[in-house]
This record gives sequence, structure tokens and C-alpha cells, in this order.
Amino acid sequence: MSDTLAGNTPADPSKRTWIIASTCTGIVGAAATAVPFVSTFQPSERAKAAGAAVEVDISAIKPGEKITVEWRGKPVWIVRRTPEQLATLSTLNGQLADPDSKRKQDEFTPVYARNEGRSIKPEFLVTVGICTHLGCSPSDKFQLGAQASLPDDWKGGFLCPCHGSTFDMAGRVYKNKPAPDNLEIPPHMYLSDSKLLIGEDTQA
Amino acid sequence: MKKILLSAVLVLASISGAQAATGGIAWDKAPNNTNDLAALQNGAKLFVNYCLNCHSAAFMRFNRLKDIGLTDQQIKDNLLFTTDKVGETMKSAIDPRQAKEWFGANPPDLTLVARSRSAAGQGTGADYLYTYLRTYYVDDAKATGWNNLAFPNVGMPHVLWELQGKRAPVYATEMVHGHEAQVFKGWEQISPGKLTPVQYDQAIGDLVSYLQWMAEPSQNTRVRVGVWVLLFLSVMTFVTWRLNAAFWKNIK
Amino acid sequence: MAEMKEISPNAPAGAKLLNWVDNRFPLSKLYNEHLGQYYAPKNFNFFYIFGSLALFVLVIQIVTGIFLVMHYKPDAALAFGSVEYIMRDVPWGWLIRYMHSTGASAFFVVIYMHMFRGLIYGSYRKPRELVWLFGCGIFLCLMAEAFMGYLLPWGQMSYWGAQVIVNLFAAVPFVGPDLALLIRGDYVVGDATLNRFFSFHVIAVPLVLLGLVAAHIIALHEVGSNNPDGVEIKDTKGPDGHPLDGIPFHPYYTVHDIFAVSMFLMVFTAIIFFAPEFGGYFLEYNNFIPADPLQTPLHIAPVWYFTPYYSMLRAITGEMMIALIACVWAAAALSVFKFKMPVVFKGLIVGAAVAVTAMMLSIDAKFWGVVVMGGAVIILFFLPWLDNSPVKSIRYRPDWHKYMYAVFVVNFVVLAYLGVQPPSAIGERVSQVGTLFYFGFFLLMPWWSGLGQAKPVPDRVTFAAH
Repeated sequence: MSDTLAGNTPADPSKRTWIIASTCTGIVGAAATAVPFVSTFQPSERAKAAGAAVEVDISAIKPGEKITVEWRGKPVWIVRRTPEQLATLSTLNGQLADPDSKRKQDEFTPVYARNEGRSIKPEFLVTVGICTHLGCSPSDKFQLGAQASLPDDWKGGFLCPCHGSTFDMAGRVYKNKPAPDNLEIPPHMYLSDSKLLIGEDTQA
Repeated sequence: MKKILLSAVLVLASISGAQAATGGIAWDKAPNNTNDLAALQNGAKLFVNYCLNCHSAAFMRFNRLKDIGLTDQQIKDNLLFTTDKVGETMKSAIDPRQAKEWFGANPPDLTLVARSRSAAGQGTGADYLYTYLRTYYVDDAKATGWNNLAFPNVGMPHVLWELQGKRAPVYATEMVHGHEAQVFKGWEQISPGKLTPVQYDQAIGDLVSYLQWMAEPSQNTRVRVGVWVLLFLSVMTFVTWRLNAAFWKNIK
Repeated sequence: MAEMKEISPNAPAGAKLLNWVDNRFPLSKLYNEHLGQYYAPKNFNFFYIFGSLALFVLVIQIVTGIFLVMHYKPDAALAFGSVEYIMRDVPWGWLIRYMHSTGASAFFVVIYMHMFRGLIYGSYRKPRELVWLFGCGIFLCLMAEAFMGYLLPWGQMSYWGAQVIVNLFAAVPFVGPDLALLIRGDYVVGDATLNRFFSFHVIAVPLVLLGLVAAHIIALHEVGSNNPDGVEIKDTKGPDGHPLDGIPFHPYYTVHDIFAVSMFLMVFTAIIFFAPEFGGYFLEYNNFIPADPLQTPLHIAPVWYFTPYYSMLRAITGEMMIALIACVWAAAALSVFKFKMPVVFKGLIVGAAVAVTAMMLSIDAKFWGVVVMGGAVIILFFLPWLDNSPVKSIRYRPDWHKYMYAVFVVNFVVLAYLGVQPPSAIGERVSQVGTLFYFGFFLLMPWWSGLGQAKPVPDRVTFAAH
């Protein structure tokens, strides 16, 4: 009698049935309730709108010129490379840490950028202007030849002022530099010859 | 002309019959087609074309219209007038300061108008809007040339007049509560609009349904999810009822 | 080493872990004292679910509140927009918002039912006075919490409701305007007010509430629950030392309350998913318009749960003051002529009556309205000492007492209804009568509660097996 009153272990099978049934419904209910609460952590429509793809008109960029646009709070460089700059790319392979952009391809080099110029159109480099070491934004060093912190045979590219990492005109990192990886190529696509869309690479 | 003026004066002097708190006419029931995607899409089109010129819907994003069956491309092609990004909110085309100068008051934001205009005992905000948008009449005594039976002396002109045409209210003198009063009897069409009265009512029904939906875009999801939640809770209540009974049958 | 309980090395891991904890923290002791071996009367009825429901709603409010604060912006320029942001842009934000707004109203429904239970069964009487006092404290905090929370959406009703109530403080003589300025932090309700109300609503008052709830439950468990028969179950114990009419809270009332929570959730979610505005009573229509300091809405009313007190506030007009002065003198006359006391005391009473009358005549009725409104809540604190009936529960009181309580409830509901309506001549009269009845019910209770022939109270509870 006191056994059932204390109710520690139900001697009664019907109690056990209903305890199991309530526990199961309770767990399902609790999980279902948790879903909306945890979902509120996801990026909101406002965040998604702010992070939406950016359309850029590239028709006004002159050869050798670079423009910067903001996408998801990051600087994205669009460089119109000259034929001379493109020609240097194949000569540097020995000096580069990852000349064929094989490292962490899913993170840094989408399928359409797995080529020498790391771009869709060879003429235009589209890359995220953030050094893969610790996040500073490298400076343009398009002028050839010896300069401060650069080797005598410098062929043009980028120099990160924070810790001295250097990148070539395809955003590929040089050997023995603090930065481990090539500059990230963001998802992008051309809507036309003059319109570049940064942030999307499929017509979703 | 004189007849119109006279009617207008009579309207202002004595409207009897059901009175709303605003002093306007009793509200008709709005059709409430918030589950009809075609109606909502038509309403969205009317809203963007006729209302966004002066009013904003600052809390409504264009891309939310995918919930009523439009694609991003359709939105971009047909509805983006004040911006080029489909994720942006519906800002008005007009500068608020200019609007205040021209109309005397800044046209209010309309995102929530279908919720805020509800009044206990009179009807929902949608009922009010449905009545308001269908009871404009020509009134030369007003700066805009228009007056309205649901919102007497409103500062807004009849933006949809091309669709509805010009009308005047018709009154009859009747004995109400022991004294003579002008009772609203119906409408006189002075010049026709592009739509017939039935078509116009339908268009306004669509527009108001859209406003109702826009005031709470999650309403349809809310009801759908609610049905499942209540079904689940019925099961859970049954289970906990039996659980309770299983323990309490021991207690004498 | 402290006195540690030993356990056999062959015992299961769970038992060993529990033993380790019990040697350092009174876990099993607390469990037994408050759940497993806490004996509650077996004859609890429907009215006894509201305590656990109140705790449940408190948890709902805190959890939904935590998630809302992640997205809400306590800035006068951004607040309204941030609420719409939650409703539209935050995934499932609309559900969290509706849970919180419905929860606020649900809290008051549950609390009024809970207090009503205490009223009719005499749960506030000795030895449970402190349970009642903590409870009244919780009620006051809850009103403050709801009032400050309501400002946060920064709609028209939020703004103007706050403006009106804060201006009430300005009615206090001498210090009023400075007090109102101090509360607002500005010359008019504004960003400064919003920010401090946010701080109070989110952290200060919830902490106080949690403390009071803990005290309330501890005080209750110290003396044990009352029951619908008003019988003290601890008076009749069995050979094992437990009350014969008692049953362990766990599992009987845990299981009972889980069932109650299920049913409550059905009503709660039906409202959230199908009628979150609840006819404009849970989410007021005017609050969908952003606050405009330059335009007052036609019809300001507080949220429904404050309206009984609002009616009383509005009822105190110049005319009502005369009626109240008459009451003061009636009370003075009664005490002087009815009771035996030294002449000095009688003189003091008459002197006090004169002073009070002078104050009532010189200070604005507006201030006395505030006094009456506040007094209507404060008087609840005194209930344990106003009740003079020999019998705790309404079940054994003279039958006409039941009508007194019924009229009290109807009166409260009528006052609530009148508070929602715009002022009218007849409404004013009815609320004045209603206010007098409300205060008469309590202030005259020492007299009327002792009248009539009470029924004999049994030794044991009345219980029908389920």
C-alpha cells in the first residue's frame, strides 16, 4: 500500500503504460517547441537582405585598374588585368605555395575559378581582399620591380602590410609567407559582359 | 454641381443611420481573401501602383511576396519601382516633408493599417479600409475635390477615381428618432470609371485582402501550424488525463 | 572529514553519484521535503491548479522574454520597428512574440483565479498569513512588470498609457511633479523612460519576482497547503506521522498538474495561433500605430487586467469625495460610539477625521483617485486580519456569505468592463457604487464575516474517489 502511495516503482502496469506514453509525447512536444526558439538564431530576413548578392557594372574599369565593392561586410576586389599581367602568371609557379589552387578548394576556389587566372573571364580577377593569414586587407602592388618588402623580381600583385604576405595577380600566395592559402574567390557570375553579380553563382 | 454641393453640405450637417466612432458611415464587411493567391497578387499590384507613390510600407520586404506565389523575377519585373533590390523594404516614392507640405499631413505608413484600424463593435481594419476605399465622392468644397463617407474630411484624394469614376451620395429625408434627418440611400454615378461597380468592388476586395495579409504575412502559416499544434495537444491531453487517472484511482 | 553517508561499493553508479551529491548538497533532502514526502491534502479541486499554472506561465514569460530581447531594440526611434522585425524577419519570431503577449494576459487570468481560490477557501488565514503577504507582493510586482513591459513596443497605447499613469504620480501633493520627472527621466515620456523601463522589466522586477515566488512557496511548504474544506490535515496524523488526509505531492500532484498544464496549453495555443489579438484585448489595435507624442488616440484605456482599478481611479470625482468624506465620518462615529476606549483616543479619532477631511477637501480628487486605486491593491495585504469568521472555507460559512462573494466577483468584473469603456455618466455612477462595495467588502469584513450561523466544520476532508 505504502509502496504504491510513494509511487517510486509502479507495481501497476497501467501506470507504467501511461508514464511511457506521457514521456514520449512530452519529449516530442519539447523538441517541437525547441525548434522555433532555436530557429530564431538563424540569420533574419534583414541579415539575408543585407548579405544579398551585389551587382557591379564593370564596363568602366580600365585595364590595370582595380575597384572594390562590399559584399557581406567584406571587400571584394575586381581587377581588370592587362595582357602583360596575365602573361606573368604561368612563370611564377615555382615561387607559389599553391600554384594550382588545390588546397581547400571548397573554401577558396570554386569550380569555375580552378584555372590559371582563377577567374571566369581571364581579364577580370574577382577576389575577396582579405589576407588568409589573420584578416588584414592587402595593398595593391601592381608596379613591377624592387620595392620595400618586395623581391627584386616582383611581377606585380598584392602585399599584406600586417605580416608581409604577398599574393600574385591571381591572388595566389607566395611560398614561405605567413598566409597559408590563396585569396578567396567569392561565388560570382556574369549577368552580361558589363554586369557582374557577386554572391551568387547559379540562377536560383 | 449645385446638387453635389448641396448633398455634400447635407452630408456634413447630418448623417444619421449607423454612425462610426470617427463620425463616418457604418462599415461593410470586407471579403477577406487572404488565402486566395490570385487575389493577393492582384492586390499587391494595385498597392504598388496606386499607394506606394505617397505611402510607405516600411516593414514589408518585397521578397516576402514570394509567400503569395510570386518569384523574385516577377517581383523585379512588375513591382520594384522605388528600389532595385528585391530584399529591400517598400519605401514610398515621395519625400515625407514634401508630402506634409502638399497634403497637410504625412501620409501614414500602411504596413499595419489593416490591424490598427480595427474597432471593437464596428469591424476589422479590413472592413474599414474596404468601406473607405469605396465611399469617396466628389466634393468641390474640399482642397482635393474629394470627400469620404467613412472618413469625413479626409485629406487624401480619391487615388482610384479613374477606376471607380465620379460619384455622389444620394440622401432621402426620413424621420429618425423623432426628428427629420438625411438618410444615406445610395450612390449616383456622375461619370463612369474604367471598371464597373462590381469590378471595382472586387478590385478593392483584392487590395484590402492584400493589406490584411501584409499587416501580418505569417497569418496563414500561423493558422496552419496551429491546427497541428492543437491536434498534438489533444493527444497529449488525453495521455496526461489517463496518466492522472492511473495514479489517482489508488486514492480513497 | 565531515559526516559523510557511506554507500556500498556494489551499489549502482547512479546511486553512488546521488550519494556523492547528497554528501555535499541537500538534494535528496530537498526532493523529499518539497516533493516526495511533502504531503498535500487529497481533496484539491479545480481551483488548486492555478498555482502551478502561474509558475508555468512565469517560465514561459522568462524564456520567451530572453529570446525577444535578442532582437528587440530599447530605443525610442527603433523599438516599434524592432518588434515588426521580430514579427516578420526573425524566423518564427512571430510565434515568440505572440507567446509573450498572450502569456502576459494569461498570467493575470491565472493569478486572479489563484487569488480568488485563496479568498474563498480562507487560504490567507493563520498560519498562512505570510504566504498571502508574499503573494500580494508578487501581485504588485506583476502589475509593475506588466505596466513597464507594455511601454516597450512603443505603440500609441504604450506611450499614452505610460504618460497617463506616470502623470498620476504628479498628483501627489508637494513632491508629485518632481517625482514624475524622476520616474520619466525627462519632461515627457521618451527614450530615457523607455530605457529604464526596459531595465526594470527585463532584469530588476523579474529577479524580485523570482525571489518572492521562492519565498511564497517556501512559506507554503513550511505550514502545508490549505484545502477547499479549510480543514487542517496536520491535525489528524496516521501512525507513520503523515496526515491521514494527505498524499505525497509527487507523484499525485505532479501528475495532476501535468494534466492541468496540458489543458491550459490547449487554450493558450488556441489563442496564440487563432486569435492572438483576442478582439483587441490582448494586443490592442491602437498599438499597431507607432507612438506619436503629438497625437493622443481617441480612446485610451489600460490593458484589460488593470481596468478594474482604472475604473476606481476614474470614479473618484469631486462628488465622490463628498461620499468618501461621509464614509470617514461614519467610520469615526462608529468607532467613537460603538467601542469602549479612553476619551483621549476618542478625541484622537475625531481629530484624525477632521484632519483627513481637511486634506480631502484641499487636495485634488485626482490624487485621491490614485490613493483609492493603490488602496484597492494594498487592502489585500490586510485580509488575514480583516476576516473574523470562525470558519475558513466558504463551504461552511452561512449561505448568504456565498452571495457576498458572488457579488464581489460580479462587481469586480463590472468595474473591469466599465474601465474599458469610454467615460459616461451612468458608467461613473456604477463605478462609484462598485468602488464603495469593493472597499466596504474588505473594510467592513471584521463585522460581516462574523455574522450568521456557520456550519459545523468536519475533522476530515470531504473527498470523492476518482
